Formats: sequence, C-alpha cells, structure tokens
Amino acid sequence: MSPSPSAPSTEPTSPGAAPSLYVGGSSGAALPLPVLYGVFLVSGFAALVYQVVWQRALFALYGVDIASTTTVVSAFMLGLGVGSWIGGQLAANPKRSALLWFAAFEIGIGLFGWRSLHLIDVVGDMTAGASGPATFALTFGLVVIPTSMMGATLPLLVSHAVKHLNNVGKSVGMLYFVNTLGSAVAAVLTAVVLLRDYGVHQTLSFAVKCNLAAGVVILLAWGVNQLRRRA
Amino acid sequence: MSFRIAALVAFFGGFIALSFEILWFRVYGFATGGTAPAFGVVLGSYLLGIALGSVATRRFCTDRIDRGDTALLRLPAVLLVLASLGGFALVPLIAWMVTVTTWPWTLIGVGLLSGTLGAVLPLVSHLGIAPDDDAGRRMSWLYMANIAGSTLGSLLTGFVLLDTLGVRDASVVLTVVGLLMGAVLVLVSGPTATQQKRWISGLIITAIAASAGAAPLYDGVWERLQFRKKYDGERFAHVIENKSGVITVRKGGEIYGGGVYDGVFSTSLVKDKNMIIRAYALAGYHKAPKEVLMIGLSSGSWAQVVANVPGVERLTIIEINPGYLEIMPKYPAVKTLLQNPKIKVVIDDGRRWMLAHKDRKFDAIVMNTSWHWRAHSTNLLGQQFAELAKSRLKPGGTFQYNTTSSVHVERTGCEVFPFGFKLVNNLVLSNTPVQLDRGRWRQALLAMRIDGKPIFDANDPAHMTRLDEVLALRKPGLKPGQKSTWFRPCADLLKAHRKAKHPIVTEDNLLIEFSRPWDWTQ
Repeated sequence: MSPSPSAPSTEPTSPGAAPSLYVGGSSGAALPLPVLYGVFLVSGFAALVYQVVWQRALFALYGVDIASTTTVVSAFMLGLGVGSWIGGQLAANPKRSALLWFAAFEIGIGLFGWRSLHLIDVVGDMTAGASGPATFALTFGLVVIPTSMMGATLPLLVSHAVKHLNNVGKSVGMLYFVNTLGSAVAAVLTAVVLLRDYGVHQTLSFAVKCNLAAGVVILLAWGVNQLRRRA
Repeated sequence: MSFRIAALVAFFGGFIALSFEILWFRVYGFATGGTAPAFGVVLGSYLLGIALGSVATRRFCTDRIDRGDTALLRLPAVLLVLASLGGFALVPLIAWMVTVTTWPWTLIGVGLLSGTLGAVLPLVSHLGIAPDDDAGRRMSWLYMANIAGSTLGSLLTGFVLLDTLGVRDASVVLTVVGLLMGAVLVLVSGPTATQQKRWISGLIITAIAASAGAAPLYDGVWERLQFRKKYDGERFAHVIENKSGVITVRKGGEIYGGGVYDGVFSTSLVKDKNMIIRAYALAGYHKAPKEVLMIGLSSGSWAQVVANVPGVERLTIIEINPGYLEIMPKYPAVKTLLQNPKIKVVIDDGRRWMLAHKDRKFDAIVMNTSWHWRAHSTNLLGQQFAELAKSRLKPGGTFQYNTTSSVHVERTGCEVFPFGFKLVNNLVLSNTPVQLDRGRWRQALLAMRIDGKPIFDANDPAHMTRLDEVLALRKPGLKPGQKSTWFRPCADLLKAHRKAKHPIVTEDNLLIEFSRPWDWTQ
C-alpha cells in the first residue's frame, strides 16, 4: 500500500512508524492500516456468523423450502442495500468521522446480536406460520437494522481510506478483501467447529464480542488521537 | 468509465456471481448429501475466491488511468465472459472430479471462478469513481447496484431457472446472459468496426457452442454426483429437478432426495425391501387412528400403507417438494395414492405448517424423517419439534418418527414424552400409555387391503410364516439366542442413554447435524 505523498493524513502517530501504514487525521482516528484491516476482517467474520445463526432461527420459524430461504436471503440483501445507501450518505458528510460511524455501527450490530435470538423468538411466537409477503416483511423487519449497519460499513471505510490512500480501486479491493476473507473464515469455522462444539448461543455470543471489540478498538484509536492532538 | 456504466457492470457482476452461486450450491448440496459442514466449506471457498479476486485487482488500479477511456470496459467484460464460460464448464467438471477424487478438491474451481467475479466490483469502483470526497457515497451506489444484481440473480436462478429448466439448461442460460453482458460492455467500450465484429461474432459462436455442447457435457452429471467413486455408468430411471431440489430414482425403484436415500416404491410386507414394517406398525399400536398427519411423502409407500390401515379416515400429508407427486403415478405400488379420497397432500414445510395450524390435532403423527446428519434436521428431530408434535396430539394420540438410528434422537424423544418405545429405528411416543398389541396387529394385517389386494394371503403357508416373523419383530440375520433390538421400551432406552450420557438434541446444540464430522470429505 503506497498512499499518495500528498495525502494529508499519513502522519505517523509514533516516531518509528512508517507513514504508509497509517490512515486517519483531522476527521478521525489515526489508525495503523493493518489494524483497520484487522478490524474489518473481524467485522466480516461476525457478519457471516450472524447470517448463519439468524438464517437458522428464521428457517425454523418460516420453513426451509426454497420460498422461505430465498425470502430470508433477499431480506438480508435488501438490508445490506439500504445500509449501503445510508453509509454513502454518512460518508459524504465531511463533518462527521467515517471511522466513528463505523465504530458506532459495529457496537450497534453487537448489541442487536446480543438480543437477536430472543427477538426472533418473540416475533416468531407471534407470527408462526406466516407465509409469502408476510414472511418477507417480518424477516426484513427483523434483520433490517443490523444488516443496514453491516451494509453501511464498506462505503464508510472506503470513504475514509480513499481520503488517505487517494486510490479507489486499492481501497475497495483491500477492504473488500479483508472483509470477505473474514466471512470466508467464518463460513468454514462456524460450520465445522463453532456450531458443533459451542452451539448456537455461544457462537452468537462470540460474534457479539467480535463486533464490540471492533467498535472499541476504533473508539480507543480515536480517543488516543484526540489526546495526542490536545497534547 | 462513466459512473452509470460502472453501476451497470457492478449489477452484471452481482447477477452472474449469485446466479452461479445458487447453481453450484444446488450441485454441492446434492453431491454431499446436504450436510451443514459441507455447506460451510463450499460457502467459505466461494467467499475466499471473491476475497482473493478483489485483492488481485490492485495491480490494475494505477493512479494514472484515464477514467474517460471507455476501452477500460473491456477488462470487466473479459472477466464476465471468462466467469460465465467457467461457470458453464464447472458442473460437469465437478461431476467428473468426484468420480476420481474427494469433492473438496473441486472447490478450487469454485474459488477460481468466484475470484474472477470478485475482481469486478473493486475494478469498476476504481474505473468509475474519482478519489475525491464523494468517493464513499458513489461507492455506496455501486455496492447497491452489485447487491441488486446479486438479489435478482439469486431470485431468478432459484425461483425460475432451476424450477423450470434444471441445472444444465440454467447453466446455458446464465452463460448466454453472461456473454450478452460482456457483449454490451464491449459495444459501449467504443470498439472499431473490425473489433466490434470480431468480439460479437466470437461471443455468438461461443454462445451457440455452449448451447450445443450442453447435452453431451452434462450427460450423466447427476449419476456421477450421486455415486461419486462408485459410479459405474448407471443411468437413473427418473430425474426430477425443480426449485425444491433434485429427486432421482434408480431403475430398481430406489428413490433419492438431494442425492440421499429416501426409500423404495414398495408396500410389500412379504418381501420387505424398505422396512415398510414400520409403517404397518401403526395398526398394532393405535386402536383408532382416525385422523393422521404425515410429514414427508417421498416415494409415497408409507402413505399408501397408512392410508389403508383400518380406522384411518383422513390422512393429511405435508411434503416440501412437489416433485415426488410427479413420480408416483409411474410406480404401481403407489400410483393410486393420490386418487384416494382420504388423502390430502399439502406442499409446504412440515414444521411451518404445524406452527400455522395450531388448531389441528391428530390421532397419529407419522414422520419417516431423512437422515439425522443432514442440515436442518434438528428442525424435525430436536426437542422443540417433539414438544410441538406433543401439543398437536389428541388424547391417546401417537407420534412416530424415524430416528435414523441416532442415539441422541432416541433419547430426545423418550425424554419429551412420558410413554413410548423404539420399533426398528423408529420411536413411537405418546402422552398416554402406548403398547404394541400383537393380536390386534395380526388381525389388522390379515384384514388390510391395498388396491384390493391383501397384504398376506391366509391360504399361503409362506405368507403365514412371514406374518409370524413380522409380529415377532425379530431383526433379520440374528443368530439363535441373540436378542433383537427391534423393540425396546423408552424406559430401557433412557436408562442406557443416560448412563452413556448421550445429550438430547436441541436447537441450540444442533448435535445431530455435526454427528458425521469427517464423512463430508468423502
């Protein structure tokens, strides 16, 4: 990764750090790029764990036939699409740090995830056996908040990275890579180890911790940066 | 590249990627018997390919590109064309590879193709978006276009193409669509007249070749995928493909759902090829099963038996895949089933139907469940479903289902219900004491007729000997003095399973779905 020399935010936050490894600055946290990528990898990991767990819970309520499965998957996609739009709008506001929004969304996803199975149970009890458009509306209603937050993260981080790397393709390519890599690892690990050895609730709890950790890392980096700037 | 064109390419990329993903999942679900670990590994490989494809684009994303240069469109066009052609060839390649090696090796192909498609979004983002303050917002639109294409692709392929065309013709359609998308991009890229002629004629010839080559290339694909290393050139008698899955029938009458054994078209108790004794048992343990619910139809053999058990007045069958109804009329043992006025077949998910019909209670619920190690089997074999079934029984009602010999499923059922026993590999459970009354069973078996023909001919000594064997529930092949395990009260089972500390199956531990952790590599 070799950001443009003119990028304003490649200031190292410690004397020995290489400038090219850092992003951040006036609008947000100074964060080593490997850490940003690591955080987004963890975020992608957690997102796929949620998808697997929520889909299982929703299939148990609404059925595993093709109509139900496609409906549930489409509701997820729609949520991601809505989130992408929201993320784009937020990213366009120069007064707000994209990284802070990202941290807030990660924590929000984690908090939703924490209560998600309970919520699905409650809604499921009230709506058991619903079919067709009702299933879609219910599923969408259940997953729209967390999937929107998930969908918003990529445009937010792209916006942030482009400001500092000055290259859209490399920013998107790298962020998409780490996020999807996290999801790929999660797909295998969830199916082969986590669900088998720890069950649904503990697996979900692991994903919640991942999101909260991702959010906290970004917030800490932001806080450290604020303190340094004041000093 | 204009932003609108970039959005169009992102849409095309999403459409092709998800369309082929749905198609490949259909193929892998069939080849692996649909286990949860296998799905995870396939999805992981697909996503890993996308991840690597996206990072591989970095070398093309130089800072010196001219975004107004429409010739840049040819790169994503080539990617789409390559992915479409690869997607067309992948299914026959997987089918061939599983006959000579273990299926996870085939995932290299999935990763390579998804990698080709994974390169599209970062590439068009770079070519269509300037690195300014608005990059995030514009990226969100491209991402949305990609998601819209993905959603349309999954809906169209899952709901329409696989339902009406099957995997072979769906592959042809997707390949042609991919080539068309490539052609559109080439046309927009402003080629010279000669280039245009070369590209378009090349793509047309390729599309025609794919259409013509599909039949020989896809010949025997399902047989190879099902038998894998045991494939010996056998051809199926029937293959039904629809949006719910793939049903195959061997020439001997064995039926398979999603590549997994599902039964045999036979109701004969004299020559019991499919342990149909379990379906006949209803007549022995239930005095008057007037209203019966059956979850799962498959070959229809069980339904044919249960519908003719003395006392049965109404049989409601919930079947998730309508394809079974198409096959049944071809087999004499079950061809009259659907004309039986006692029977009502509902195409639905069994659990969802039960949740939606809280007011319906039954004298008997019968469920010849598929293998316990398949994905989502917990929905029918876990504690929660047993409790659901328990709440849908009339007083004296019974719940019979196939444990497919899982000790965990056995313990689960026996823990949920206060009374019951194991019969062959089925559990028969009830809220009230339930017993196998061999005297009543004998009378019923002698009285029963299917299509007017008796089950046993009372004048045939061989038939009477066989009847005694059936009533004795003695497992075939046992040596003298060996105890048969074909009948065990729940109390005995529970003692053994509690001692062995076999946990019960819940929707949290999903125990049974991971009970064959290493078999998915075969």
